[in-house]
Order: sequence, then C-alpha cells, then structure tokens
Amino acid sequence: MTAPAGIVWLASFPKSGNTWFRIFLANLTAGDSGPADINNLDERGGIASSRQEFEAATLLDSSLLSHDDIDELRPGVYAAMAAAANEQRWIKAHDAYTTLPGGEPLLGRNVASAAVYLVRDPRDVAVSLAHHNSTGIDEAIKFMNAADGALSWSGRGLARQLRQKLTGWSGHVTSWLDQTDVPVHMLRYEDLKTSPVEGFAGALQFAGRPATTADIERAVRNADFNELRRQESEKGFGERTSRTAPFFRSGHSGGWRQTLTAAQADALEQCHGAVMQRLGYLITP
Amino acid sequence: MPSYFIGGLRVASDFPLPGAIPQTCESAAADVSIRHGSVPMALNGASESGPTWEMAGETFLLRGPRLARFLITAGRAIVVEKEPGVTDHDAAAFVLGSAFGILLHQRGALVLHASAVARDGRTLVVCGASGAGKSTLAAALCRAGFAFVTDDICVIKPDASQRPMALPDGRRLKLWKESIDRLDLAPLCGEAVRESFEKYYIDPVDARAESLPLAAIYVLREARPPLEAGIQPLALPDALRTLDCEAYRPGLRAKIGHKPEMLASAAAMLGHAKMFLLVRPRGFEHLEETVAKLRAHWEALDR
Repeated sequence: MTAPAGIVWLASFPKSGNTWFRIFLANLTAGDSGPADINNLDERGGIASSRQEFEAATLLDSSLLSHDDIDELRPGVYAAMAAAANEQRWIKAHDAYTTLPGGEPLLGRNVASAAVYLVRDPRDVAVSLAHHNSTGIDEAIKFMNAADGALSWSGRGLARQLRQKLTGWSGHVTSWLDQTDVPVHMLRYEDLKTSPVEGFAGALQFAGRPATTADIERAVRNADFNELRRQESEKGFGERTSRTAPFFRSGHSGGWRQTLTAAQADALEQCHGAVMQRLGYLITP
Repeated sequence: MPSYFIGGLRVASDFPLPGAIPQTCESAAADVSIRHGSVPMALNGASESGPTWEMAGETFLLRGPRLARFLITAGRAIVVEKEPGVTDHDAAAFVLGSAFGILLHQRGALVLHASAVARDGRTLVVCGASGAGKSTLAAALCRAGFAFVTDDICVIKPDASQRPMALPDGRRLKLWKESIDRLDLAPLCGEAVRESFEKYYIDPVDARAESLPLAAIYVLREARPPLEAGIQPLALPDALRTLDCEAYRPGLRAKIGHKPEMLASAAAMLGHAKMFLLVRPRGFEHLEETVAKLRAHWEALDR
C-alpha cells in the first residue's frame, strides 16, 4: 500500500515546527539508513513560494511581475504540479490560506488532498522568530500582530521566494482552520513535542500515508532535537538565516515565560487572545 | 522598422525593444520578425500546456497576466497582442525574455539561463537561477575589465570546428537599483525595465559583437551548508546534469523536442569548456572578494 499521489500542504506560521516535520518525513523515507542529513533531505517536497518552480511552470520572468500578478498565476502552478505528481508530495507553505479577488484560493481548488496545519503558542513563536531573524522580540511581536504581514515582500532587489501573505498570527491560524476547500488536520507543536509518535502518526494517517509504528518511532528518534542540534553544530544548516543563533535552538515549549516581559506577553494575548483560547493556549479564568 | 541583433540572430521588430541596442545597418533579411497582431486565447490541438502556455507543433502561445499574449512560431516569428492599457515598453521586456527564450529553444539552440562576459578573446559564462546574482556579478566583472557579452539568456553554438561559441547579444544588462547604487553604475543607468519596477537597463561600456569561444562555465551558488565557499570543477556526469538544470526554463527544451540533440551538443561543449561550481557568500560586502577569486581562477585556466 502506498500513499495516494498528489499534494499535501504542510502549512504553518513560521517557527512552528514545519522544518522539524519535514526532517521527520525525510527520516521516514530514509528508514534504517537514517538519520537523514539535514542538509540533504530526500523528502524535499519543496515550498509553495518557490520562485524557481513558479518560473519553470509559467515560463515567465517573475522579477518583472508584481506580487499580485504572480498570485493570480499561483493556483495554475499548483494545479500543474498536482497533475505532474506521481507520488505523494508534502509541500511546505507559510502562506496564509487566502483567496484571490476573483474568489479562487491562492493555493488552487482541488489541488491538495489534505493539509496538515502546525500551530504553536504565539509567545514561543515570538521568541523563536526573534532569534531566527536576529531582531528584538518587540519587532517579532509587531510582525506577528500585523494583519498585513508578509514574507519576501520587499520591492528592493529580488527575494529568493515569492511573497507570502501571513495576515498576522491569528489571521494565519483561522485562515487555515476555517477554510473548507482542503481537509485540514491541526497539530499543536506542544502536543507533538510531548507525544511525537502519536502526533506524526495522526498526521500521516490523515494524509493517507502508510507507515508502521516502528518506522515512525525510528524516524522520530532520528529527527530528535539533540540529533538535529548535533548535525547543525558539526556541519551547519542551510536553512538558517541568523548569523548568531543556531536554527535548532531549544525547541522547548513554554520557554517564553523566562524570556518575554509581562508587557510583551500581554501584547500578544491582547491581539490573539480569542484564537489562543480556541487552541488551549490561554486558560480562561 | 527597428532592427536588433539578439542571441546571434538578426531581429526586425515593428515596435521598439528598449532592452536591446538598435543596429545601425538595416539588414535585408531578418532571421526573426516581431510584430503586433492578433493572438488567439488558446491553440487548437495543443499537445502540451501549462498554466500560462500551450504548444501545438511549431506554435507556442504564452500568456502574461494583465500584459499580453505572445504567439511564437517556428523559431522565426513573435506576434504580440497586448491587453488594453499595456505599453509597448512593458510588453517588450517579456518579448526579449521569455518569448525570445522560447523562440531560441524552437531553433534547437543550447540556451542557458546565464550572463556572460569576455576577456582575451574568450567567454566566461555565469549560470544561476533568477535572483542568484548573475547580472550583478557580470556587472562587477565588467567593472574589473571584462567586456559584456549577454545578460540572463546565453546562447551557445558550435563553430565550424565544433568549438562552442557564446553568441553575441545586443541585449542590455538589467540590474536592480540596489546593485546599480552599490556598483556606482548610475551614469550608465537607462530606463526602468517595467514601469514602477526598480530594475533598470544598463548600457554596456564595452560590448562584444563577435562570437567568442567559450572557456568556462561557472554555476553560481550561495555558500550555505552543505556548500562551502570556493570554486570546484564539476566532473562530466555532474556537469551534464547541472547544465540541464541551468538551461533557460529547464524542461522546456524536452517539451519542444530537442533534448537528444541538446545532450549531444552539451557533451561536445564540455569537451572544450570546463564547468565549475562557484560557491560564494551572498551580499554586496563579499562581491569584490568573489570577483578577485573568480578573476584569479579564470587567469589560471589552461588555454
């Protein structure tokens, strides 16, 4: 039995466990030849915002198209990718689930068979994001609270990836969880840390990808944070952006308690309280 | 009618192409004609298609959003139908890029997504994806004494003795404002490639008008794990595989049906020109160092 061919979106706000999930998938594929090399992941489904894939599919020079014109074409690009996929392809996406002015979803209609949505306590995301981008925490919070926040949007030079609208942390979460086009499986980072085997198994089952418990256990061991940190300290990690902070830092949940000031935690809770409550990150008194 | 020399071909266009340098001598018989005309929304009997294009035999239809449709036929003609309100200037940017790239594939040319410069009668080619830094590096090499050959699309063709030659190109260099500022190229900066985009045409100071033998191809990569900064030769199988990925719009030539010939001409080319992986840190602060290393490497190449 093999997984059905086609696209599965692996969606999340940045710094919410997406890379960890992809490394788990690479280790699942590697089987007993793991641990997979974090700089040479076989299970590279790619990212939805890849400029190169966009140009290969449209034949157009993306540097001469506006972000909005590019977005108009993106549904067609994913439809072509889905039609060409001869196996199951997990594609990372940091884009919020948005629709174009004409009503078509940015990520296309009937393109993906499933989506796995990873979510993490926004207070931990803020700490991780600040390290990743080498900014202060206030700046990270401002970005998470901005309803018009996006990645790779700058008009100066050419960003490596296509623009990804994030719509703020709450907007991102609700855009994915409340859309009805793609069946979505929500996975909390905190639960994945506590019970990785159950967490990954649930996501695989949802996407129809067969795997034995022993296979999953081995892949979880090989994608353990200690192993990832060991590899990064030895050889570095190609997806790291910060010059100072390692990519695989602590991976802890709840670390924000030692890092955020009361005012910073409050700024996030004020902005995202409703969604945090919905996900169990805020206990109502 | 303005005429140009692009990718080794004589081109006549019924509207100006600001990205190319007009030729003074009007050639009697052009290899390629470019004109306004009506272009269908779709092709009958298309054998291949993508989100923005269709192909039927020797005819290729390309659609640019809120821009124009381009009908590219048999490696000889490009017909352009603009959307209402689109300027010739904006349409021309895509004529010289994507549409001409497709036309070159139709002619069976070996087309690389690359910029090229020349020195001492030999061509140095820099391949890389969009945004990799090809044009900026080419501009920096020109500042360091190389002559400009081509930007973004590089056509390679064997001469009578089967030596691979980089064909001269009458297109202008295109650079983002940031690169122009960093390289002090403001005096050579022309008009924007597209209105409201911060990418501009740059006039070459010294451009080559003759075909020059290809000496080396450098594939531009960023130094991040697992790649370490340096210049490494690529062995033939790796070079062939890499060359396939570095083609202009990879995958297109397989669809157009020239893949076997291309493989043969790529292999023949690698018999003459060496191929290297050029891994360097990104950022303008490292550009001078990259140019110095590349220049030293280039000068040490066997003749």
